[in-house]
Amino acid sequence: MRLSKFLSTVIFVTCLCLLYVYQHTEIFRLAYVGQKKEAQFQDSLDKNSILRYNRESNASLVSIGNKISGYADFQMPDGYRLVRLMPSREGLKLNQEAANRQTLLSRLFGIKRQAEAKTINP
Amino acid sequence: MYISNYRPRSEAVFLLFLVFLLCCIARLFLIQFFRSAYLTGIANKQHNLFVELEPLRGIIYDTNLKPQTINIPMDSLFASANAIKDKDKETIIRQLSQILNINQAYLRDRLYRKKSFIWLVRKLTPGQSQAVKKLNIKGLGFLKESKRFYPNSYLASQIIGFAGLDNVGLEGIEVYYDKYLKGEAGWAVFLRDARQKKLGPLEEKMVLPKNGYDVVLTIDEVIQYIAERELDKVFKTYHARGASIIVMDPHTGAIIALANRPTYDLNVHSKVSKDRIRNRAICDLFEPGSVFKIVTASAALEEKKVNEEDKFFCENGSYRVASHILHDHQPHGWLTFREVIKQSSNIGTTKVAQMLGPDIVFRYIKLFGFGSKLEVDLPGEVSGITKGPRQWSKISIAAIPIGQEVGVTTLQLVSAISAIANGGQLMKPYIVKEIRDKQGETIKKFSPVMVRKVISLDTAARIKKILTGAVEEGTGRLAKINGFSAAGKTGTAQKLEPNGTYSHNKFVASFIGFAPAEDPIIAIVVTVDEPHPYYFGGVVAAPVFKNVAGDSIRYLRTNQLVNESIALNEPR
Repeated sequence: MRLSKFLSTVIFVTCLCLLYVYQHTEIFRLAYVGQKKEAQFQDSLDKNSILRYNRESNASLVSIGNKISGYADFQMPDGYRLVRLMPSREGLKLNQEAANRQTLLSRLFGIKRQAEAKTINP
Repeated sequence: MYISNYRPRSEAVFLLFLVFLLCCIARLFLIQFFRSAYLTGIANKQHNLFVELEPLRGIIYDTNLKPQTINIPMDSLFASANAIKDKDKETIIRQLSQILNINQAYLRDRLYRKKSFIWLVRKLTPGQSQAVKKLNIKGLGFLKESKRFYPNSYLASQIIGFAGLDNVGLEGIEVYYDKYLKGEAGWAVFLRDARQKKLGPLEEKMVLPKNGYDVVLTIDEVIQYIAERELDKVFKTYHARGASIIVMDPHTGAIIALANRPTYDLNVHSKVSKDRIRNRAICDLFEPGSVFKIVTASAALEEKKVNEEDKFFCENGSYRVASHILHDHQPHGWLTFREVIKQSSNIGTTKVAQMLGPDIVFRYIKLFGFGSKLEVDLPGEVSGITKGPRQWSKISIAAIPIGQEVGVTTLQLVSAISAIANGGQLMKPYIVKEIRDKQGETIKKFSPVMVRKVISLDTAARIKKILTGAVEEGTGRLAKINGFSAAGKTGTAQKLEPNGTYSHNKFVASFIGFAPAEDPIIAIVVTVDEPHPYYFGGVVAAPVFKNVAGDSIRYLRTNQLVNESIALNEPR
């Protein structure tokens, strides 16, 4: 047997072995990549289920009911809290005439204007 | 150049290799035939990781497929106590106790055990889990487990029930349908790398878990909310000890809403007393009082012993039966049979019962389903108490027909009133409509079941008219609904004191009815236990019926219109 033939056979077998080893390292590398992606996917799924729960619980009738009843303790405004606003070029303006006007009832029972709302120019 | 030129040297090398090869073969032979099993075991332990795959517990939906339960994956913290150095343990205990808000003694007890796996805390909140992960402590690990959450917190809590830490049903539907909801666990053998970490996608063997089936209830979330809202109001306004409401479809026996007070938040069930968890509507017995007169009235009409216009003298409010003097809440003289029921006269009803006799009264009590379980698909149902005619005392004929000396449940009352509403059929109450898999395929369907025919269509129609009168101009006027007709009966039952006498300040106020009277779509029972200061059924319970029935019918009609218009606009 010629040495060159022997060496080429050895090289060929070695290459085959290296290829086999390479394939295995590739399998494990891809497994790690897959694992990383799976973890990300799982994380997204977890977040999705938490979001779904939050959405369901916020949209539930119990939650909406609680929120509505939370705002239900509003007061009807008294006379002095009412102001008349007039549209003007600068925006809405307090109607001074209406604000200063006192009704017969308010004069009789002493209901006076106690607060004025001031408009803020945009 | 040929190898033969170097023959002696190459032969020596060859011999050397041959000897080496023979040694290897001998070693391999020894390993293969004598140590194979032992070494395979070690290798498997090193390379493979056995993991149990948890199935997803089935979801519980309301009738419109709104989820009432949600599974959320949570981190559970475990420790490999062996892998943690003793000198580090105290620091870890201090840190974990702060983050997880648990007793240091508990952590110390766990971490000083000589175990390679021990749970520290299961199902942590995401915040706690993140905080522990940041500490990066060697010897602590996390496993994902799904935790049951209930987005509607207290809504239908006593129906839905809850599952425990291991996702096993403990109460309500969660326990009754546990075999469908829990699913089957799977398992997998994963490969591990040199650092003993799982190589996720590379599994040797895998048996996938079978996820639990979903359960669809007959409960309508909106009507349930309406019922709970109104029950809450009456419970708080009258400082009651307890309260229950059931809304039923009288034609099918499907329970549309069922609520009790006091109640609890399903998400914090571990801190709640048994008293709040109990489903009073099916577990608690009470003497029903005047609402029970519907049984006596039905028996009298069905047996053709009386008709609506027959007159009874109500003894001006005081009537002796054996040693007992019976009273009406307000004195009456002559009343027609219709008025006896409308005005809820105890004396008039007793006289009707005396005409019928104990045997007939008892037969109708049993026919209406009292004294036996209705086999509803909820845990804890009780059968109630009814005495056979032989056990009746001399005053029983003046007590049982008016709802004393009997123990009934709210569920039995709603089934009885439904039988009148639907034309005389006692329907089996049920709360689960169907069981389906994750793809939406129906696994099991529950259909309405008629238990028996109780009264004729004609008798049912006549009773309906009498009960409509009770709401229009009788004791149940506060149950009148704007825009709809309603039929019903009030009840105010004295509670028994521990010494066996009837209390003068503890009552059960109740109202049973259905609406619309001419073509009922819902039957409702409201019971309020020990309301104060007012205690009459017509004052305390009737307004609850009015509000629940009114809102529910408006909702159901709107829903029907919407569904019809959607069906019309669907592309063909």
